[in-house]
Amino acid sequence: MDQPLIELEHVGVAFSAQRRVGSGKFWALEDVSLSLRQGERLGIIGRNGAGKSTLLRVIAGILAPDRGHMRRGTLSCQLLSLSVGFTPYLSGRDNAILSGLMIGLRQRDIIARLPAIKAFSELGDFFEQPIATYSSGMLMRLGFSVAIQAEPDVLLIDEVLSVGDVEFQEKSGSALRERMRQGHTVVLVSHDETQVATLCDRLLWVEHGRSVCEGNRDEVFAAYHRGLAVSTAAS
Amino acid sequence: MHQHLIELIRFSTYAELRAERERSYLGLIWWVAEPAMMMGAFWLVFDLILKTGGPDYVPFLLVGLTLWQWMKSCITHGGYSIWGNLGLIRQVRIPVLVFPLVQIFADTIKFLYIFALLLVILWLAGFPPNITYLALPVVFVVTLLFSAGGGFLMSAVIPLIPDLRFVIEQILTMVMFLSGVVFALDAVPPPLRDWFALNPVVTLLDATRGILMHGQWPDWIALLKVTLVSLVVLVIGIGVVLRLAPRYPKLAA
Repeated sequence: MDQPLIELEHVGVAFSAQRRVGSGKFWALEDVSLSLRQGERLGIIGRNGAGKSTLLRVIAGILAPDRGHMRRGTLSCQLLSLSVGFTPYLSGRDNAILSGLMIGLRQRDIIARLPAIKAFSELGDFFEQPIATYSSGMLMRLGFSVAIQAEPDVLLIDEVLSVGDVEFQEKSGSALRERMRQGHTVVLVSHDETQVATLCDRLLWVEHGRSVCEGNRDEVFAAYHRGLAVSTAAS
Repeated sequence: MHQHLIELIRFSTYAELRAERERSYLGLIWWVAEPAMMMGAFWLVFDLILKTGGPDYVPFLLVGLTLWQWMKSCITHGGYSIWGNLGLIRQVRIPVLVFPLVQIFADTIKFLYIFALLLVILWLAGFPPNITYLALPVVFVVTLLFSAGGGFLMSAVIPLIPDLRFVIEQILTMVMFLSGVVFALDAVPPPLRDWFALNPVVTLLDATRGILMHGQWPDWIALLKVTLVSLVVLVIGIGVVLRLAPRYPKLAA
């Protein structure tokens, strides 16, 4: 019952350093282990370039580990990403369907949700116009309205908690928090410590592509702050 | 899972065609106008100026260019598809084969529209429908297999070596001239002609022209050979895409 949904053991991912023949490898992830259980909200913290986003893409199944093991059942993991597959010359409606299909929804489900998407994005009649005519704010609103429809078993979020103008930021942020509270399994990557603190119950601290410690939120935060203090003092 | 993929491929194909229509002022008219202009250029050079066209040169050219345009689009559009969607591949988990497939389907649907128009032109020009039309679907399926194979193979390699894009257009232009698209291969000296006949494109063009212009059944043995070659290319193409698939999300756009 309490079997982990996803388990990573000493996972590493390498990129080639450059697009040149015979260029060296660069390990974006060196050695990361984690386990994720049903209904957990796991936050991933760490400094810039620690490998957090790469890790999220490994969990999403986009990147395959180059070493180590990953175990996961037949479940859907979806990285929450805005405007996936948007095509400039298509209408907002067609783009919503296309994008919805790409993030794993069935066509009939998206079509059933089109009225909700149209309402949430506040596009009005522009919904039927090619998105090439949209302002960047309109594009973001449509992108978010579609992305939030994804219903994977595990939702992965990389720093996109709010988009658009102040008003829509409020709205999109609260829609997302609502989704997270509904008991979904979530993995969240963020720089914003207060956000992580309010939304997650477990944390994983990643440093230089290695998992430093994983566990209860407060313990990991305490260790993380001690670590930061030490490294600041050392430099 | 499979049904979802079918929906994705179907809607993406629709979106591709729809976007192409919306992209220009004349929209769908370009589907016909572009090959027509190309045909005009060849007709001017080979028939009017050089007088090497021979009898029935215009229908000969029409059939050749229509079929070649289809094959070429599948190979180039299919070929660029994974490279062009690397941004998407880095964001979502979609089987990469979807991208070339969508392009190949879109180009095939376009071809079918143009082909319908070609038939009308041929009938008006005095090449009526005949019993050998029954063989057309077979020839087209083989053509599709061959072009799809080429498209998959290109799509697999171009993301890793984008510079190939500059080479492939030139190679395809050369193949076009070596395949009797614009002039009959009867003009080629005999010892060379045997080599030319090994080219699958020649067999496919000969079969289509025979059916549409002369009411001739295709050379089944030659067609069978092309089918085998096409299947091999297709299997290799799909195999290479699947083999390289884990590397695409790591490539910089």
